[in-house]
Amino acid sequence: MNRTDVIVAGAGMAGLLAALAAARNGRTVKLITEGVGSLAISGGCIDLLGYVGGKAVEHPWQALDSLEAGHPYRILGRDRVHAALAAFEELTAAAGYPYTAPADGRNRRIPTIMGTLKPSWLCSPAGHAEALASARRVLVLGVEGFKDCHPAVVVRQLKRYPEMAGKEFTSAMIRLPERQRRRTLSPLDVARFLDTDAGRAWMERELTPHGGRYDVVLLPPICGTHADDGARQVLSRALACPVLEMLSIPPGVGGLRLREMLCGELARLGVTLVENATVSRAEVTNGRCTALVTTAPDAERRHEATEFILATGGVLGGGIATEPGRARERICAIPIEMPEDPEQWSTPELFAQHAITSMGVRVDAQLRPVGPDGAVLLRNVRFAGRTLGGYDFGLEKSGFGVAIATGWTAGSLA
Amino acid sequence: MKLRLNPDACIACTSCVVQCPVAEATPEFLGPRMVGPAAQRFRLMGSGEDESLHYCANCKNCDISCPHGVLISTFNMMARAEQARKGPFSLRDWMLSHGAFLARALGLLPAALRNFGMLNPASRWALDRLGVSAQAPLPRFAARTFRRQLRTFAQPDASRSVVFFPGCYVDIYDPQTGLDIVWLLNRAGYRVIVPDAFDCCGLPMIANGFWEDARRNAARNAEELAGWRRKGVEVITACPSCALMFKNDLPEYFPELADSMEGAAPTDAQEFVLRLVDNGELPLPATGAPLDIIYHAPCHLRAQGLGLPGLELLQSLPGVRATNANAGCCGISGSYGFKKEKYHIAQRIGQRLFTAVRQSKAPVAASECGTCRVQIEHGSGKQCLHPLTILRRRMEA
Amino acid sequence: MKETTVVIIGGGATGAGILRDLSMRGVRAILLEQGGLAHGTSSRFHGLLHSGGRYAVGDNEAARECIEENTILRRVGRECVEETEGFFVLTPQDDPAYVDGWVEACDRAGIRAEQVDVAEARRLEPNLAPDILAVYRVPDACVDGFRLVWHNACSARRYGGELLTYHRVTGIEQQGGRIRGVTARNMISGEDVRIACDVVINAAGSWAGQVAQLAGLDVRVSPDRGTLIAFNHRFTSRVINRLHKSSDGDIFVPHGSITILGTTSSATDRPDSTTPTSAEVLRLLELGRPLFPHIGSYRILRAFAGTRPLYDAGGAGGRSASRGFHIVDHEEEGLAGMASIFGGKLTTYRLMAEKLCDHVCARLGVSAPCRTAEEPMLEPAPAGLLKRAAGLFPMQGAELAAHRLGASFGKVVEMMEEDRERQIICECEMVSRAEIEFVAGDPATHSLHDVRLRTRMGMGTCQGTFCSLRAIGALEECAAHLALSPTEDVRQFAQERWKGLRPALWGTQAREVMLSRAVYAATMNLDGAIHEQD
Repeated sequence: MNRTDVIVAGAGMAGLLAALAAARNGRTVKLITEGVGSLAISGGCIDLLGYVGGKAVEHPWQALDSLEAGHPYRILGRDRVHAALAAFEELTAAAGYPYTAPADGRNRRIPTIMGTLKPSWLCSPAGHAEALASARRVLVLGVEGFKDCHPAVVVRQLKRYPEMAGKEFTSAMIRLPERQRRRTLSPLDVARFLDTDAGRAWMERELTPHGGRYDVVLLPPICGTHADDGARQVLSRALACPVLEMLSIPPGVGGLRLREMLCGELARLGVTLVENATVSRAEVTNGRCTALVTTAPDAERRHEATEFILATGGVLGGGIATEPGRARERICAIPIEMPEDPEQWSTPELFAQHAITSMGVRVDAQLRPVGPDGAVLLRNVRFAGRTLGGYDFGLEKSGFGVAIATGWTAGSLA
Repeated sequence: MKLRLNPDACIACTSCVVQCPVAEATPEFLGPRMVGPAAQRFRLMGSGEDESLHYCANCKNCDISCPHGVLISTFNMMARAEQARKGPFSLRDWMLSHGAFLARALGLLPAALRNFGMLNPASRWALDRLGVSAQAPLPRFAARTFRRQLRTFAQPDASRSVVFFPGCYVDIYDPQTGLDIVWLLNRAGYRVIVPDAFDCCGLPMIANGFWEDARRNAARNAEELAGWRRKGVEVITACPSCALMFKNDLPEYFPELADSMEGAAPTDAQEFVLRLVDNGELPLPATGAPLDIIYHAPCHLRAQGLGLPGLELLQSLPGVRATNANAGCCGISGSYGFKKEKYHIAQRIGQRLFTAVRQSKAPVAASECGTCRVQIEHGSGKQCLHPLTILRRRMEA
Repeated sequence: MKETTVVIIGGGATGAGILRDLSMRGVRAILLEQGGLAHGTSSRFHGLLHSGGRYAVGDNEAARECIEENTILRRVGRECVEETEGFFVLTPQDDPAYVDGWVEACDRAGIRAEQVDVAEARRLEPNLAPDILAVYRVPDACVDGFRLVWHNACSARRYGGELLTYHRVTGIEQQGGRIRGVTARNMISGEDVRIACDVVINAAGSWAGQVAQLAGLDVRVSPDRGTLIAFNHRFTSRVINRLHKSSDGDIFVPHGSITILGTTSSATDRPDSTTPTSAEVLRLLELGRPLFPHIGSYRILRAFAGTRPLYDAGGAGGRSASRGFHIVDHEEEGLAGMASIFGGKLTTYRLMAEKLCDHVCARLGVSAPCRTAEEPMLEPAPAGLLKRAAGLFPMQGAELAAHRLGASFGKVVEMMEEDRERQIICECEMVSRAEIEFVAGDPATHSLHDVRLRTRMGMGTCQGTFCSLRAIGALEECAAHLALSPTEDVRQFAQERWKGLRPALWGTQAREVMLSRAVYAATMNLDGAIHEQD
């Protein structure tokens, strides 16, 4: 009944940002989702660019220009990438859970539960790894019964980095109260416990003996599920030092906080949400999309709008469908050029470049899909996030950076 | 032909683990991924069942959260049926899942007596012993069922007809909501037909493991629905759970009925009414007194992939400010929250919603699902109405 | 320097079977294996315990051996065998004239083959093609090759047999035409060891030719490569064979939670030619379609390949080569005290071991008889224990673990009574922390890879993305003999998985691989850490 200006498909980082950008421009926005989106299973740190061609990047903004021409950052240009990330910082600050960039312009190196370091860029205070870089006495704290994090490994592994030389590492375990123990215990369970007053009081009690003895404390991501930094601050006070969360395997507590905040913004801006709907195709007339069609077991439904943003992910998210020797963008059925022999889709080394890890839709500077000859295929459809080709977020550590840059830009242009 | 259900689509991404309200509320539940697709691989080996399967509330949040189309709750319900086949008979579960039958059996008694029979302290004590929580907000029988009232309800002559599937909740406990919907449809120029052949959609039977009873009902209903499809008369229902059952679940549970059900499932009544409004067949009032409403989207409605037409209707009413509570599952999940061992879990799950409703300045809440409304009233103390009831009141005002 | 009577080279089913047989007869023996146990062909086949039906027409003698050993193994290796039974299915593409001869040949070999009504067969196996023409029931079963090898080894250990994994033989010492000993390199520490002995048994399977060369001998083994596919779920509960002349891609085996389709057959000159290709996977899918028309919609977990150690008698190779086994005493070639055994198949490994040990014992003057056909490899877990364990494991994890662990099950159950040990590390295959820690504590465990083989951790839906990272912590805490840094251990684990995932990189499994990459690379930065850590 209300006219829809912009339809966004996909509730991952790119889709949420596209919807937000469009809604803040005064557009009437409908967001169609299949599934909860990638944030729920991510750590919630915004990587910008960690590696180019296998080489570690210290200053990501300086390295942007060394990327190949088809990379989404190059397609957008540095200014628009910058504007999108700035908008994200502003948005999170306004919502009371600020994400900030490192002051010195160099990538943060965030510790993980494997005791590795991962370069990242915008982080909530739980990811301000500067505190680890400058610390001398480091405590790695685990929770008894946790299967996802073993402090002893973290310590052994961190010590293997030359940059950690001279630091003093200690590991320790805390015990959950009897009632909180479970057959299967993940950081999410403890984070939920720390949403409660009882949980915080318990944690404070457990941590106080460690207070004042360390310069920084590393924890699994357990400091609550809400975008308010409250639990972390309580722990930080008890320990009298900064508390950082290590990146962990899914489910992603950090991503959940971010998702709560972004979805809250969307609701505030009146974005309509259609959940559990699979967009199966686009209706196209004269090079323009007129409607997206969703399929449910009972019936198809048409969703009309004037502008469309597709942020349905890559192979993982389901935006790109693959079969032996063939790949295509799923909704508009845009073919993606790939070798016919599936053997050529990848190479024998796991952590190397593969055709499949960077394949995707090719777009113009307005993020509209283009054919092999560069001609725009659909004038009012924009793509954002991993559906795009030309980058490999796994090796580059650029996932959410590209998602925010392309999502925000697509939403602003729509 | 539909392929047999298999767990291949699950990639273990844990999205469902994050969104499962039961796993959040109780450590007893191993979570949808483990109990659903992961366990399914072992069920195919002929394995035993994990105790925690009982705790799945069939609220469908796992299905809604899954980015890969895995039918997680379906695995759970089918496994539960298998377990019920092997396990001992539970009178409590039978009673909770055969409300329509009980109501018919008790129908000879006056409602006051029936309610006295079921809801007096002695009966509640006895029910509690059977496993129905004494604290649970069991709904009261209506004095006369919706169907009986409709027989004497004077409908204006109309050229067009629509069939209404009332669902047990409206029929037995809440006829007024049904009558409100009939009123609206009459107003839009439709005569409303409620066939006697319609029986319980079978969802409570499925949730409690009474597979064969559900199949019997499904077959009967499928035949009736197919008849109306042949006649070209649209069937609608205002109960999200019944709708989901027909659209989504029954063809999966009983693939042999899938073909006859094709295109015959009832339309969501709110979607239907919204269409009438959009088409100009049901003009909305031009003005109205200011009213705040806090709206709860039932999980079984969200699972249907059609958005929230009920909320859209409310938001388009002049003077009404309807806000989506956006506070997750209410916890009741049909008969789940009435059970003694689940009551507290259901209350914990609903806490966020209850708080949102209580703290809202809206004097009234709205939700399409009957048991959600019961739970919200129980948990928040605020009255909760069907959106179409509110629509009728605004149009009459 | 070590000293023993017999050194066995090769830790597959045959080698482990020989170690057990000799140890039970009181002969001192040490087994050397270049990788982990069963790292060669014994873990790279479809897991079929043949009834013999497959060989009935082509090699009736081999078929008879199969049915006899099949019967024995159900008794002595209960925990390794799942008694599923098997179907031989005639599809419209098969020659109906083959059937009568096959039925007769089964009868001659002593294999019970009874016809099953097609409708009944489809009721039992609803995923079978609707157009199948005839079905016969045979006593096929499934066998876990790795577990079989391990249980043989455990039993041998109890009788004093010794096991050295990750030891590659570098030399075979001889003097005056007699065996004097063996030198080997510890592949983990890099140390060389020398073992004095009187007898060397070459049971290196596809590697037998290479081992013989160390002693200056020529053994005619030609490795024959077979590729297989593992599917994510069990879409058949019985072994399903095509009823035709044995060919490629015509056997489906339900194996625990998965289904395996095999195999291809192509000659190779490298025993370690175990990298499967997309072309092989696509071909297998095509070959499997007449039995299971929806095969294209079933998710492939991974592909894998092994090499059969076929005896090269000159001429007949591949499918037409004999599946019988051969024992060569090299005394005839001037080296006393060395024997080689090759050919054969996993189903008859015990018989092969028995024949070889009879021969060796006769030479050694040992008169103790073979008892491997009578004595079970494991003592069954006490019934009460299983009941006690049931509440500690999810699903039927208790039973699975009991079968994997045998006599050690009690210890793991005890561990699990402490709550942190109950945590399920591998949620796809339901493996508990207790079991992983227990296995990690075994001196033969050096890596995640070793833990995977013994527990099935990382062999299910997610192929180890979650559990490898969880288990590495548990390993660090309780294993003193790890070969690799945690980063490298996980990388190698993931790389090994990648080898099997890569040839089937489409559909749902491609999604799984991308999730895995998001975890390993995008979140954990393992790819970067490899270069940045010391």
